Amino acid sequence: MNLLRPVLLLLAKDLRVEWRGRFRFLSIVLFGGITLVLFSFAIDADDRAAATMAPGFLILALLLSSTLGLSESFRVERENRALEGLLLLPVEPAVLFYAKALGNFIFLALLAPVLLPSAIVIYGVDAGLNALLGLLLVWLLAAAGLAAPGTLYAAMTSRASSQDVLLPLLLFPLVIPVLIASVRSAALVLHGDPMDQTRSWFIILLAFDVIYWALGGVLAAVAMEE
Amino acid sequence: MIHARGLGIRFGSQWALAHVDLELLSGDRLLLAGANGSGKTTLLRLIAGLRQPAAGELLVDGRRPTRERFGARRALALVSHHDYLYDRLTAMETLRLWNSLCGGSGETRLDDLLAEVGLSAAADRHVGGFSAGMRKRLILARSRLENPRLLLLDEPFASLDPEGQSLVERWVGRFVDDGGTLIVASHAIERASRLCRRAVLLEQGQVAWQGDASALEAAWARRLGR
Repeated sequence: MNLLRPVLLLLAKDLRVEWRGRFRFLSIVLFGGITLVLFSFAIDADDRAAATMAPGFLILALLLSSTLGLSESFRVERENRALEGLLLLPVEPAVLFYAKALGNFIFLALLAPVLLPSAIVIYGVDAGLNALLGLLLVWLLAAAGLAAPGTLYAAMTSRASSQDVLLPLLLFPLVIPVLIASVRSAALVLHGDPMDQTRSWFIILLAFDVIYWALGGVLAAVAMEE
Repeated sequence: MIHARGLGIRFGSQWALAHVDLELLSGDRLLLAGANGSGKTTLLRLIAGLRQPAAGELLVDGRRPTRERFGARRALALVSHHDYLYDRLTAMETLRLWNSLCGGSGETRLDDLLAEVGLSAAADRHVGGFSAGMRKRLILARSRLENPRLLLLDEPFASLDPEGQSLVERWVGRFVDDGGTLIVASHAIERASRLCRRAVLLEQGQVAWQGDASALEAAWARRLGR
């Protein structure tokens, strides 16, 4: 059996299970939206300052929402020890990792249609269609850069009683490069790029995505097994 | 099929199993008995490769189950206390997922399996709404999809009504008639003895007695000083 088929089978299972419990997704979208609003209150600045800081706030909202989604994604595997059941099958742990990471990526990507327009409105950003498409690309790359290490750490901490605390403690330091590259990329996309740096930041972001996804597959057995 | 020599595992400083020797040939049927906490479930989990032994040697079908998990786990199925079910999937979706992950095909076979365990009418109901007995019936059907040569049953009669218990006996009887190897951990000694030829009595993680399954009850009573 090739690796793609079981990955797609497990991804379909995850999406089906998530769809049937979609209240969780809606609550995380709401959490992301509230985070954006709170940031706008926190800076207490004029419109121009808010628009300047919008890329940073947007990526932070993604990061904070991701920790909720990532830890919850393994809750369904903890119930009835379902993950253990999958590990008993002749399925490689890397397959379980990629299926779960893809599911988490889709989950984070789906926050974009709500959070991107919300940020544009809340922070008064003047963005054209090209800037919006560029911002969407940054969002997808950032989501990929969070989904892979986040899934790995969520798997490692899924048996810990203090997972909600452990996951951000482990994840945040690791994703600092993704955070910096995505904030810089988003800022250049929204506010202009006189020095032509956008491409370089996109490449850095993409490089970290590739590293994290490759390492995740290699380390999956260590993370998943008891 | 199973070769264990000096097998041991500890939780913290406490040895849950120690100095366990076990030889099972293909087609053997072994009953594991012992009081609560004697190490029956732990031994089954070691054989299934869900735990790494801290001492001794363990080979399942000639492979070390944790290190050569892919080959070793292809040979076995574990029906455990934990049912490994997803509450938001239906019974049919559960079997379909397992069937696909195990490389099987054939929807008709799944219908037949559900009919055999008396769950045809509940095929499209979410597993979360099933009673404990219905869940047990579903995991029995699911275990068949793994085409195991070694079946590990942990308290297979628990939560089942008399009809369900007879179903397990018929089910397992057919498995052993086909040459399968069986290990049953159970407190229902009389019923389990009918399925097994040999028995091992565990006390505080060590083999206290082994012999013919029909002599187990008397041997256990003697050890308890009755």
